[in-house]
Amino acid sequence: MKKTKSANAAVAAPKSTLKNMQKYKGFYLMFIPVLMFTVAFHYLPLAGISLAFTEYRGVKAPEFVGLDNFVRMFEAPGFWTAFLNTLKLSVVKLLLNTLMAVVISLLLNEIKNMAFKKTTQTIIYLPHFMSWVVTVSVFSLILSPSQDGLVNTLLVNAGILEQGQEIYFMGSKDWWTSIFYIINVWKDTGWGTIIFLATLSGISPELYEAATMDGGTRWHKIRYITLPALSNTIITVLILNLAKVMNLFESVFVMQNDAVIQQADVLQTYIYTQTFNSGALPNYGYTTAVGIVKSLVGCVLVLVCNQISKKIRGRGII
Amino acid sequence: MKKKLICTMLAGVMAASVLAGCGGDGKTAAGTVKDEDGITIPEKITVMVDGTLVTKSNGQQEFIDRWEELTGIELEIIQPDHSAYYDVLGQTIASGDWPDVMLLSPTYYTGYVEEEALWDMTEAWENSELKASGRINNEELIDNLYIDGHLYGFATARGNGCVTYVKKKWLDNCGLDVPTNYEEYIEMLDAFTNGDPDGNGVNGDTYGVSAAGLIGVEEPYVNYLPEFYQDAYSSFYQKEDGTWADGFTEDSMKEALQRLKDAYEAGYIDKESLTNATSDCRTKFYEDKFGVFTYWAGTWATNLKTNLANNGLDSELVAIPPIEELGAYLERRPAVWAITTQCENPEGVFKYFIENMLDGGDMQTLWTYGVEGTHWSTAAETVCENTYEEGEFHMLESLESPGTQYTKNNIDPMLSIGDYIDADPGANQIAEEARESQEIFNENSTLAPSVKSTDEMSQFNGDLTTLKNSIIADIVTQGMSVEEGYQRFEDEGGAEWSQKIVDSLNEE
Amino acid sequence: MAKVAVKKKKKITVFDVVNTIVFILISLLILVPIWKVLVDSLDLRTSYGMSLWPKEFGFDGYITVFSNPTLYKPFLISVVTTVCGTALGLLLCTLGGYVLIQWKMPGRNILAGLLLFTMIFEGGMIPTYLVVNKMQLTNTLFSVIFIPAINIYNLVLMRNFFEGIPNALFEAAEIDGCTPMQIFYKIVLPLSKAALASIGLMFAVTYWNDYTNFKIYITNADLYNFQMKLRSMIMGSDLPTALGGATENTVKNAAVMVAIIPFMIVYPFCQKYFISGMNLGAVKE
Repeated sequence: MKKTKSANAAVAAPKSTLKNMQKYKGFYLMFIPVLMFTVAFHYLPLAGISLAFTEYRGVKAPEFVGLDNFVRMFEAPGFWTAFLNTLKLSVVKLLLNTLMAVVISLLLNEIKNMAFKKTTQTIIYLPHFMSWVVTVSVFSLILSPSQDGLVNTLLVNAGILEQGQEIYFMGSKDWWTSIFYIINVWKDTGWGTIIFLATLSGISPELYEAATMDGGTRWHKIRYITLPALSNTIITVLILNLAKVMNLFESVFVMQNDAVIQQADVLQTYIYTQTFNSGALPNYGYTTAVGIVKSLVGCVLVLVCNQISKKIRGRGII
Repeated sequence: MKKKLICTMLAGVMAASVLAGCGGDGKTAAGTVKDEDGITIPEKITVMVDGTLVTKSNGQQEFIDRWEELTGIELEIIQPDHSAYYDVLGQTIASGDWPDVMLLSPTYYTGYVEEEALWDMTEAWENSELKASGRINNEELIDNLYIDGHLYGFATARGNGCVTYVKKKWLDNCGLDVPTNYEEYIEMLDAFTNGDPDGNGVNGDTYGVSAAGLIGVEEPYVNYLPEFYQDAYSSFYQKEDGTWADGFTEDSMKEALQRLKDAYEAGYIDKESLTNATSDCRTKFYEDKFGVFTYWAGTWATNLKTNLANNGLDSELVAIPPIEELGAYLERRPAVWAITTQCENPEGVFKYFIENMLDGGDMQTLWTYGVEGTHWSTAAETVCENTYEEGEFHMLESLESPGTQYTKNNIDPMLSIGDYIDADPGANQIAEEARESQEIFNENSTLAPSVKSTDEMSQFNGDLTTLKNSIIADIVTQGMSVEEGYQRFEDEGGAEWSQKIVDSLNEE
Repeated sequence: MAKVAVKKKKKITVFDVVNTIVFILISLLILVPIWKVLVDSLDLRTSYGMSLWPKEFGFDGYITVFSNPTLYKPFLISVVTTVCGTALGLLLCTLGGYVLIQWKMPGRNILAGLLLFTMIFEGGMIPTYLVVNKMQLTNTLFSVIFIPAINIYNLVLMRNFFEGIPNALFEAAEIDGCTPMQIFYKIVLPLSKAALASIGLMFAVTYWNDYTNFKIYITNADLYNFQMKLRSMIMGSDLPTALGGATENTVKNAAVMVAIIPFMIVYPFCQKYFISGMNLGAVKE
C-alpha cells in the first residue's frame, strides 16, 4: 500500500495489478502448502498421461503407437454400450442419491426431539461403513428367490406373488437396474446428508422465528428460507460429483452377473474384463487412454453444468 | 519427432527411476565366493511373494532367520497384500527396482516371458542335482512350463483343483451309492431335490448342487460344475494334433448347456448360482441346503467338515472319483518361481533359492511346514484341544488367529512335486479327509489347457468371453434354447471373433 | 419472542407424527441388513437365511477378532493416520477454501482452475506410484497420510461454507488491521464449526476406512492399518492357512461389525457441532 512511487502512465495497468497482488501477499503465502501438495501428488503424475499414446506393459520402455489405443477403444464392440450404461447408471444414481439426501436432511431438520434426531442420524450413517462386498451379499440374501428371501416371502404372504413365482431380482434383466439404484440409495444417502445438515445448521434461527411471527407455515419456511440456503450446496455437490461420473466401478462390479451384463456392464468393468481375458500383461498405455476419455467426459459435464449454473445463479462452483 | 517428445516427457518422471533401479542397491556385489560347482554364492536374495508364504504376523521373521541359518545368505521378502499382489508387482517392475525372484501366476509368467523380463533357467534346471536326483515325482508339470523350448519358471507343487464332495448322510438317507456315471449323478440330484435327504420330514426343501457362477471367471472355467460340462471346455485349447480350437463352438458344449438347462429347470441346481459368491455356496452347504459341492481338494475337505460339524450336522463327506463321462477333474496350472533378468547372479539364486526348496530335507520342511517351534513341533503337548505325544510331528497354534492350527507354509505337502530323501516328517499329521480327497484328485485329474496370447486374443477375448457367459446365463436361467443361444453367438459377432482368435493361434 | 418459540415447540402437529413414523421406518429399512450381519456375528452356527436371533448365541467371533494379538498395532496406526491425516486435510482444505473466496485476488481464477483440473484429470495408478516411490514415500506412513489429504472435492465444499460468512465481518476485521492469517483463525475458523466438523468427519472416515492406498503403497505388513487387517480377516477365509476355532462365517461377520464400532463411539462427540453450528445471529446485530 505504501509503495508505488513512480507513476508512469504507460505501465499503470500492470503496476496496479502488482499493487493489488502485493495486497494479497498473505493469501498467496497461504496457498503455497495447497499448491505444493497438488503439484506433488497430482501434477507430477500427470506426465503419465503421455502413456496413453504408447504401448507400455511396465517392463520395456513405452513404445509410441500414436492414437492406436484410442482407436482400439472406440472400435471395441462393447465400448459404447458400456459407455452409455455408465453415464445412465451414474447420473441417475447421483440425482437420486442427492434428491433423497436433501429430502431426508430437510425432514431431519424438522425433528424436535433431540435424542431421536441424534439416534436417527447415527443410524443412517451406518451403511457407509459396510464394504460393497458385504452390502451386496446381504442384499442378495434379502432379495433371494428362495424361501430365505425376505422380500419374496413378504410378496407371497401379501398375495402379490404366487408361490413358485418368486422373482430372482439380482439375476433379472428387468429388475437389476432398479435394484442397483435402491442399494445405492440405501448405502449412500445417509452419508450424503452430512454436508446438507451442516449447511442447515448454519441458517440463523432468527430467520425462522421471524417467519413464524409473520404467520409463515412450515412449508413457507422450507420454501423461502431452507431451500434457498441449501441450493448452493446442492449445486456444488452435484457438479463436483459429475467430475467422477465415469469412475463407477466397485458397486457395479460386485453386483453384476452374466445374466444382466448388457444392463450392468460399465466402462470400468468392461475394461477390467478386457484386460483380464486378454491373456497378456495389462497394457498401461491402454488404461491411461481410457482414463483420459473418462476425464474428458467428466470435464465436459462439469463445464456445461457450471456454465448453466452461472447463467441461472450468476456464479459457478469454483 | 513426436516419439522423441513423448520419450523425453516420460524420461523426466519415469526413466530416471528405472535407471536408478538398474544400478542395483548393492545386492550380490563384491565378495564373490564360489561353491564346489563353481557357482557364485549370492550374498543377498530379494523375493517378491503373495500371501501363500507365512505372513509377517504369522512368524515370517522366524522363517527368514531359519532360511538364512540354513544357507548363510541374506533373504529379503517383499510380500504385498494378497489381493493387490499383481498391482504391486506391476508397479514394482515399472519402477525399475526389480526383485531377484518373484512368484507368478500362469498369465503373468507367459506375459513376462514375452517381455523378456525373466531369466532362461533351462540349462540350470537340466543340469541341476535336483533333476538328476530322481526325486521329482511329476516332471511332466515342469515340462509343461517350457515356452518355445525354454524354461523360465519353476513350480514346486501342483496347482490343485476341485473335486466333488457328497454328503454321506444324504446318500444314506436316500439309499443311494456314490454315483459313477451321469445317469446316477442325476438320479442322486433328483433324490436330493425332491426327496428328504436331510431327514427333517419335509420333501423338497433341499436341492442337489450349488456353484458360484454357472461358469468360472478364470481358468479352468468349467471346474465348478464338472459333471454337467464333462468333456466340454468353454475357451481355447490345443488339440492333440497341435491345432487350436474354441471349445465353445463345439457340439460338446451345446450338449453340456442342454444338460445344465435341464437340471436348472428341474431345480437340481441352486436357483441363485448366477449370483452366488463362493462364500455363499459354503454357507448354504454348511446349513444343509444342498448335498453336492464341487470344491478344492485337500485342506478344504477338513474345512468343510469342521464347519458342518460346528453346525451340529453329520460331517462325513465323500470325495467322489470323476463320473464316467467326465473322466478327469481339471487341474489348475501352478504358480511359478521366476528369476528376473536384473538378478546379478541367477545361477546362484536358482541353486540356493529355487532348487533348494525341494532339497528333500530341512529346507523342504521349512517351505512345507515352516519353522520348528513356531509353526510345528514334535514336543509332547496339547494344541487346540489335540494332544500329541513326544516325537509326534504336529502343527502349532496360529499366531495371528489363536484357536486355529496351521496347515502348511508355502508348499502343500500333498501337492509337492519333490519327494523327501527320507520320509516326509509331517506326513502323518495330515487329516485323513484331506488326504483322501487329495488322492482322489491327484489320481484323476488332467492339467487345464494352457493359453497363449495373440493380438487378436487381447483384442477380442474380453468381449467374446462376456458374450459366451451371457449366452450361457440366458440358456440356462432365462429360458432361451440352445439353438437360439448359438444364433445369438452368430448375430453378435462371437463366431467371427472366435474364428479370428483361433486363426491367430494356429498361425504362430 | 423466546417464549413464543418455546410454546411453538411443544405443540405436536400431524406433520411431526408422520415425520417421526417416516424416520422410524427409514431406520428400520437401514437396520434390517445390518441386523443380519450382527446376528450372524453372534451366531456360532452358520446360517444362510434371515433370522431375528442367533440360533446358538456366543461371542466367539468377537473373541477371535479381539484376541488377535496382531490387531493392536494396526489399530494404533489407524489412529495415528486418521488423526494426522484429518488435521492435515482440514488444514489444506481451509487454507485453500479461504484463498478461493478472495474473489478480487489477482490470479484467483487461475489457482481455482489449477485445483479443479486435478479433480478431473489424473495421471493414473502407475505414474502416481512412480512419483511417490521417487519421493521415497512408499512403505512409510507419509504416503498414506499425504495422498488423501489433498482433496479438492472437500476443498470446494469448504469454500462453499466460507462463502456464507458475511462480507461485513471481513471488512471490519481488515479495518481493524488484521492480517489475512489473523482473519483466518480469528473469524473464519471459529465461525465454521459445522463445516469443520462435517468435512473433518468425512476426512476421518476416509482415513479410517482406507485400504486402497495401503495395499498399493505399503508392502511392509508392520505398517498395515486396522482396516487392512480386518479385510484380510473378512476375505481371508478364501485362503485358509490355519484351521479350527470359531466358524469362519462368525468371525467374518464379527470383523465387519468391529469395523463400524469406532465410528459409533466417536460420532456422538462430533454431533453437537452439527446441531449448534455457527451462530451468525450475534454477528449481524
